[in-house]
Amino acid sequence: MIFQKLKNLNYLLIFLLILLSFIGAAGLYSAADGSYQPWASRHLIRFYVFLLIAIVISIIDIKLIYKYCYLLFIISLLLLISVEVIGVLGKGATRWIRIFGLSIQPSEIVKITIILALAKFYNDIKFENVKKISYLFFPFLILIIPFIFVVIQPDLGTSLSIITLGIFILFIVGIRLWKFILGFIATIISIPILLQFIKPYQRERIISFLNPESDPLGQGYQLIQSKIALGSGGSTGKGFLQGTQSYLEYLPEKQTDFIFTLIGEEFGFLGTIFIIFLFVLLIAVCYFISFKCFHSFGKILALGVASNIFIYVFMNIAMVSGLLPVVGIPLPLISYGGSVMLSIMISMGLVLNVDLNYNLKKLNNA
Amino acid sequence: MFYSEQKKQITTYNRRTFFLFLLKLSLFTAVGWRIYNIQILDSSKYETLSKKNQIDLEIIFPLRGKIFDRNNILIADNEKVYDVYLIPENTKSINNTLNSLSKFIDIDFAKRRKIIQLTSKVKKFEKIKIFENISWSNLEKIETNKYNLEGIFIAEDHLRIYPYKEVFSHLLGYISKPNQKELSLPFISKMPNLDIGKEGLEKSFNPLLVGKAGQREIEVNSSGRVIREISKVDSIQGKELHLSLDLRIQEYAVNLLQSYRAGSINVINIKNGEILCMASTPTYDPNKIIKKPNKEYWDSILSNSLSPLTNRSLQGLYSPGSTFKMIVAIAALKYGVISSKSTHSCSGKIEFGDRLYHCWKTNGHGKMDVTNAITQSCDVFFYEISKKLGIDKIAKVAEDFGLGQIFDISMPNQKKGIIPSKKWKKTTLGESWYAGETLISGIGQGFVLTSPFQLAVMTSIIASDGKIVEPTILKSKNINFKTNSKYSDEIKIIKKAMFNVVNINKGTAFKSRLQDVKFSGKTGTSQVRSISLSERESDEFRKKEQEWKKRDHALFVGYIPYDDPQYAISVIIEHGGSGASTAAPIAKQVFNYIHKLNL
Repeated sequence: MIFQKLKNLNYLLIFLLILLSFIGAAGLYSAADGSYQPWASRHLIRFYVFLLIAIVISIIDIKLIYKYCYLLFIISLLLLISVEVIGVLGKGATRWIRIFGLSIQPSEIVKITIILALAKFYNDIKFENVKKISYLFFPFLILIIPFIFVVIQPDLGTSLSIITLGIFILFIVGIRLWKFILGFIATIISIPILLQFIKPYQRERIISFLNPESDPLGQGYQLIQSKIALGSGGSTGKGFLQGTQSYLEYLPEKQTDFIFTLIGEEFGFLGTIFIIFLFVLLIAVCYFISFKCFHSFGKILALGVASNIFIYVFMNIAMVSGLLPVVGIPLPLISYGGSVMLSIMISMGLVLNVDLNYNLKKLNNA
Repeated sequence: MFYSEQKKQITTYNRRTFFLFLLKLSLFTAVGWRIYNIQILDSSKYETLSKKNQIDLEIIFPLRGKIFDRNNILIADNEKVYDVYLIPENTKSINNTLNSLSKFIDIDFAKRRKIIQLTSKVKKFEKIKIFENISWSNLEKIETNKYNLEGIFIAEDHLRIYPYKEVFSHLLGYISKPNQKELSLPFISKMPNLDIGKEGLEKSFNPLLVGKAGQREIEVNSSGRVIREISKVDSIQGKELHLSLDLRIQEYAVNLLQSYRAGSINVINIKNGEILCMASTPTYDPNKIIKKPNKEYWDSILSNSLSPLTNRSLQGLYSPGSTFKMIVAIAALKYGVISSKSTHSCSGKIEFGDRLYHCWKTNGHGKMDVTNAITQSCDVFFYEISKKLGIDKIAKVAEDFGLGQIFDISMPNQKKGIIPSKKWKKTTLGESWYAGETLISGIGQGFVLTSPFQLAVMTSIIASDGKIVEPTILKSKNINFKTNSKYSDEIKIIKKAMFNVVNINKGTAFKSRLQDVKFSGKTGTSQVRSISLSERESDEFRKKEQEWKKRDHALFVGYIPYDDPQYAISVIIEHGGSGASTAAPIAKQVFNYIHKLNL
């Protein structure tokens, strides 16, 4: 049974994951001046461990996952809230929580459980009910509660990606377009009101976050350096380990958020476009799995995961190339960082699972 | 039916999935196009930039906003000075440069270590200020020997100065470099070299005062010479602050207080809540804190047991003593414990429980109604009425008059004080309330603690017949305060009594009356320790020769003119003796001064 499942795994997807993480390791190797320490080796070890976790997740009975969606969502929400509470008690903003010696960012995990919860919800309700306003209340809660807790951290990048992710999923299940427009207007109107409810120190945190001019040197400088790195790479790049990096020295996030520029310098336009191509392929595979799946749960799940990856990749590349403000979003599987990689690999495990169970007719609580 | 529904669902899903995929593809295309632009079309431009590594970004520090008093007199300004900077990137070795520099300016070991530590913290191209405000002769020496000093340059800077030195120190505070913790705070620019407000208004209005930093993108050749400026965004000076304070009154008040070791004078314009004066002594000179080296001055401040850094007006807590009696009287009238005509007889003491409660007048005042009891500050009368009132009603009225609260006047670290109630004692001390404590609270002693500024606000509310005067430290247009007619009948009686305090023969502050313009008020003398029976009998306890720290605090609150109140005052002289002998004459002088100013 298990061997049968392992044999039927979607190896194209796994191959793409391996390829992307290897590219990431190469970039990190170069970022450390041609050394596996401190990033590249840990990056690869993490990847193998998380790949194992992903494969385990992929062969779990999908009904079991389906059954515990809401519970998982609530647990991840509690983790997220506990981070805020710890932050308050420790008198400092934090996004991290330590579990089993691993620093976990609950806001990353929560994105996956949001997808799960929404997938279960829309799997369970009748299609004719999707259009009813009253059935929007629950999905709204699933999105807005984690959103609020991420906003007050404040992590604007992640909170924006939660909302975008929600919009993508709600679009797929067939919510009418005018409701999105209405929701958008309502959000704009309610922002000042919401600001009244949160504590002053949280409000200050958000406002100062929205005001990057408080750090004119930092961001302007980062962007110039980032563009020089990309641009000087040209079409084919300076070659592996040949990046001068002298200007990347001042990029505080060269191994995380700005890794794309480093690869762009060494491998040029060919390298960057190849990475984008790999991500498009990865997302397309997820779309294909969603497309062929018989049950709504799997469809929405695969699509949500694809959207999640899309949001990471798009925001990161748009950020380092100066299309979006610097909000601090890593490039999945390539940037250094365990939390995001764990959440990506868990979600990939879920997609692999859906791929194995695409032909189930319908999932329900019975 | 079921199948058609499912079919419809799948069609919707698939159609929308397709659209979403198209959307994502087009967004990726946009990003790809952007990358194409940078890496292919503009590549040569970035390539030359990368080869020479010649783009530098320089911060242009903004000038801090000026602060004015209500009559547009500058009370916080910026003075041009010259500073010495070091750019680590431009030196062959920091030590060599410092060695050459030490020929002109003395660099001791600690200083040298600090500079080297600093260079490891900032980015290599960032300039580090190593000497501030250097003298003209040093400036000349360094300028002429510039070519031997790699990485050193001199730049103009501005130093914050406070022309009136210690007059506004508690109000304005001072500025200084942010520490590591402050750099991570919101609203503090992440620039370790830009001063931020550390105390007072400089702190609370820092986001406004600090202005916006500009930046200069410059092209530099390999030897470090600036070739051209690529772009420049000018810095924007911080906003000006116009305060409600009046330099003349503030200065006058501070000078009056200088005759005593510690005290506070607060003046509020009742009509619009503007704070005209908030003086607290001992004080300090913020200029001496800003100008380095300041260690000696800091040490002298920190070792002063009177803590000059404390703004006594807002952070000093005192028993209000008899100035609290207005609150108790209003409460008693309001809750029907007494009428304006009810009398109690004062024999100099009453017995309650197993204790004796004394009036300040050992022989007693005789028959007292509420007006007389305030006029002559009879303690027994207030023991009697607070006994009947109970502490919770007193607390309710006290809070309605601004006691026990902090004010929205942008001054950091205000102290709330204590307005005791049964619940307060239970929650903070975990004990239940004793009836005897109500008596003591009724004369503003015991647990009751207020700040001098709270007393000034209380007086403003009384003087304006119950209008909720909201104090402001910024110059403001006339504000219409909420009228609170809840206590207006009671206040009328109290105001009559407060008039008598100053203006009739028996009043405790009669000696401090003014002839041309009449004011009203109330004296207060708050004990800093309980007086033992033997002391009371020997009648020694009011002698002036007592050790300073054991002496009573002298208080006075009042308003002027009595018939159409314009200004409210509170005066506290720490260990100044009695309110009548020390605080009331000071209030009289301030009122007289304000009257002569003809504002």
